[in-house]
Amino acid sequence: MTSSALTRPGQRDRLSEKVTEIDWRLALVVCVITGLGAMILYSAAGNAWSPWADKHVIRFGLCLVLMFVLSMVGLRFWFIAAYPTYAIALFLLMLVPVIGHTSLGAKRWLGAGAIQIQPSEIMKIGIVLALARFYHGLSPREAALSWKLLIPAALIGVPALLVARQPDLGTALLIAFTGAGMMFLAGLSWRLLAAGGILIGAGITPFILFVLKPYQRDRILTFLHPENDPSGSGYHILQSKIALGSGGLLGKGYGLGSQSQLNFLPEKQTDFIFATFAEEFGLIGCIGLLALYALAVAIALRIASISHSHFGRLSAAGVTVTFALYVLINAAMVMGMAPVVGVPMPLMSYGGTVMLTVMVGFGLVEAVRVHRYEEMPSGRGSLL
Amino acid sequence: MSRPLSLEPSIFFDEVNERQGVFHRRAFLFGGFAGLGTLALVGRLTDLQVVEGVRYQLLSNSNQFNFRLRPPPRGRILDRNGIEIASNRPDFRVLYRKGESKDIEGTLDKVAALIPLSDTRKASLLKEISNTPKSRPVSLANDLSWDEFARVNVRAPDLLGVAADMGEARVYPFGGAFAHVIGYVARVSAEDLEKEKGIDGKPDPLLLHPGFRIGKQGVEKALDSQLRGRPGGQKVEVDSVGRVIRDDPSGDIKALPGKDVVLSLDADIQNRALEVFGEDSGAAVMMDIRTGDLLCLLSAPSFDANSFVSGVSSADYKQLAQYERKPLLDKALAGLYPPGSTFKTMVALAALAAGQDPKRTYTCNGAFQFGNHVFKCDKHHGTLDMHGAIATSCDVFFYQTALNAGIDKIAEVAKRFGLGQTFDIGITGQRKGIVPSIEWKRNYFKKTPANQKWFPGETPSVGIGQGYVNVNPLQLCVMASRLANGRKALNPRLIRSIGGIEQPRGSAVPDLEVNPDHLNFVRAAMASVANDVSGTAFAAAHLGLGSVLMAGKTGTAQSHVYASGTHGAHGARGDWQLRDHAWFIAFAPADDPRYALSVLVEHGGFGAEAAAPKAREIMRTALLKDPEIRARIEQPLPLPPLDPNAQLPGAAPPPPTDIPGVPGPAIPSVQTFDPGRPA
Repeated sequence: MTSSALTRPGQRDRLSEKVTEIDWRLALVVCVITGLGAMILYSAAGNAWSPWADKHVIRFGLCLVLMFVLSMVGLRFWFIAAYPTYAIALFLLMLVPVIGHTSLGAKRWLGAGAIQIQPSEIMKIGIVLALARFYHGLSPREAALSWKLLIPAALIGVPALLVARQPDLGTALLIAFTGAGMMFLAGLSWRLLAAGGILIGAGITPFILFVLKPYQRDRILTFLHPENDPSGSGYHILQSKIALGSGGLLGKGYGLGSQSQLNFLPEKQTDFIFATFAEEFGLIGCIGLLALYALAVAIALRIASISHSHFGRLSAAGVTVTFALYVLINAAMVMGMAPVVGVPMPLMSYGGTVMLTVMVGFGLVEAVRVHRYEEMPSGRGSLL
Repeated sequence: MSRPLSLEPSIFFDEVNERQGVFHRRAFLFGGFAGLGTLALVGRLTDLQVVEGVRYQLLSNSNQFNFRLRPPPRGRILDRNGIEIASNRPDFRVLYRKGESKDIEGTLDKVAALIPLSDTRKASLLKEISNTPKSRPVSLANDLSWDEFARVNVRAPDLLGVAADMGEARVYPFGGAFAHVIGYVARVSAEDLEKEKGIDGKPDPLLLHPGFRIGKQGVEKALDSQLRGRPGGQKVEVDSVGRVIRDDPSGDIKALPGKDVVLSLDADIQNRALEVFGEDSGAAVMMDIRTGDLLCLLSAPSFDANSFVSGVSSADYKQLAQYERKPLLDKALAGLYPPGSTFKTMVALAALAAGQDPKRTYTCNGAFQFGNHVFKCDKHHGTLDMHGAIATSCDVFFYQTALNAGIDKIAEVAKRFGLGQTFDIGITGQRKGIVPSIEWKRNYFKKTPANQKWFPGETPSVGIGQGYVNVNPLQLCVMASRLANGRKALNPRLIRSIGGIEQPRGSAVPDLEVNPDHLNFVRAAMASVANDVSGTAFAAAHLGLGSVLMAGKTGTAQSHVYASGTHGAHGARGDWQLRDHAWFIAFAPADDPRYALSVLVEHGGFGAEAAAPKAREIMRTALLKDPEIRARIEQPLPLPPLDPNAQLPGAAPPPPTDIPGVPGPAIPSVQTFDPGRPA
């Protein structure tokens, strides 16, 4: 039965009732996208489940269960957990340069052996929860333009800088953009938006020249002119464009992508999986895939809109912004429209960490949907 | 400030509604932005996949497929009977393509575990690989055994860039017998690359293939472009590190094999010639006097051309280059020597043309005084006519005869017979030599006008083939064949056909402008050299083939040591370098000539002792191979006719009456050639 504002007290808290409130359309779209991802991973491995497709499916199964479990968690609990989650993530992020270990020239990981965590991923959820929690207690006027906005700016800036120093430019940008997106959704005044836009526009050149590490700068310059260094740093983009372009309108056919099968396409199972997909399924396939992602974003935004609490609205929308940014940045990067910054395609790219983050995020979105009528504490002046 | 109830909203309802309204508008805007972003992506995708799709398709194909150059099989070089004197054998080798690989040294170590690869070789390979562009293969090892080849082949998939390859290598089955004529192939040098640059400034990629060898000398060099062929391509599907995933035989481009070249040489004769020379230094040239085909073109001692194909070691090369008998020099074409008494045939023809009576006699008492210089003869020959003087090679007679003819007449005849010129035989390396004349001396000594005048005292030396006159063995063979042919100014031909296309014959030439009677006279005298008891080469040049006789002329030429101005003792004594050069020119059969031959033995001593026996052996080989001659030799002897005046057609000519020591009818006389001789 569908619930309404008029259901009896306590009825909505029953598990059997809650399960019916889960948005199954969103779950289905997520499953379809992941299924396409598994299919492409199977093809990229030379028509084999191992080493990617099997693990991808198993991880997704576990994450799907987690998503359903999280969707049962009341919004009030998310509300209470918001600041602590952010605080823990921030603490771990600060710990990374001290005790983290280095892989591929960057310190991103904590822990050892089987249990390894990437604090920057926890922060992706943490920033959404913390900002939603913060704006929940803010009046529209304050959210538009007031000194209090320095607090979300700090909430966003500190972790973004910490992640950028690891260095992990992609995740840092993602955190910053997500935060900016949420500030926008919360009603940031247009004047401030314009000022920020001008500031970023003016600051981008010195940022690229003086703040970025040489390899990061190379990536950016290479994306602009990949043909200058076809066997060096331009190789990724060039091969990715060849894979995409050679797919044509209808693609080379499933399992027949020569660029990915013969390893010309680097990172074909992770960051460049969209190119692998595009090579085999062509423009038609790509439009279909992007439509699925757009559908997921639209459903999630709709869920955010119908929430009765501002916390619910903003947290669901925050997850949606992160998800949409993932897709847009990754696709733009693969097509040579953006620098190669190491942002994977959510649900398709092989990799457990991102899968977990995204599915926890969708768990939150579903929780917002399930608990859309839940009343929230004011949250004003208290941290818990 | 009083706290509201925890469950109540902290802000007023209108604010709640305002906040919700702002969110809805902003969420709608965000959705719009995301939609625009997606549209931009679709636009970009359309551009990449539809507008530029074909270009990227091509780029993808050039990633996926690779054409591996397949060198064409080099054309073979055959002798006149189709026997291979240069061909190709399978060569199992290991090629390495660097590709994207970084760990070249590690790969080499792994290869060294499978096939022998010394440390020094590894070091030089590392250097070669790092200097080679990554798409071009480098040969790690050649001439592997089947076992080694199979071992590498099995392991090749694990060894990035390593491929076991079956190519072809040049082989010269006769080793040294043809080394000077056909030359050899060797690795392409930097100068070759410079020379072979195409219009685009880049050399033919075939030249860069490690299995390719380029012609360096002789026929291999002169006809390199015909022998080379056109390379093919093998279409293979490769992955990003250049590993071959599979072949695509349907996309292969067939290599066009090089053209076969057929030489006029006869392997049996050439081999026999090399055999009879042993370690002696010299040259032997034989021509078929009906066609001008060269049957033998040998320079001895020789070297093994095979050792140059894979690269001769510098120590070996030094040994060859420094050996005093000069194995690397083609003496048949580039060796110049005074012709000695063989030149008397020319002097005789010149004198006859100048009107000297063949019956005119001179008396030899061992020396000839001209002015205040005494020219010596090695014997007291007594009184001789021209026939006798040729047969016994009397110098005194020819000092006088040369003066009678005059130096210009001698030069004119010698040039008509091919001396002092080079022939177009398809390979380079001939030297012209000198046929002295008054004009020649004027040109030659331009810088020292005092020497420009021809002194009559210089003519007698030329009369016996000494002095300024200088020839190579090929020229003397042409001279002998023109003497033997008697009608045509034959040119030698070495290249019989290229790719099945017949090359111009050496007999398509104008007639020889010499009085046939004079020629017959000289030929008869040459027959006496070999067959008269008094002839200088009587014993040495006797073929022993029944009625088939050889005619010839000996020559013993002083070898000048210009540095000291001295020469050694006459004949085969003393220092090798100071000994005389031995010559013999010949043609056979004497009565119906087919083959002409010149033999030089450098510092061999007397022509009759050193050169004539070799000429006899080489000539015998040629005659015995000729089916018509063979039939003539094996044909039973005709019975002596009852009436000596009634000759049957085809019967042997009457027995000679004037050749002492030769048994009666077994060997026919050569008198038919001898119009000027007293009966």
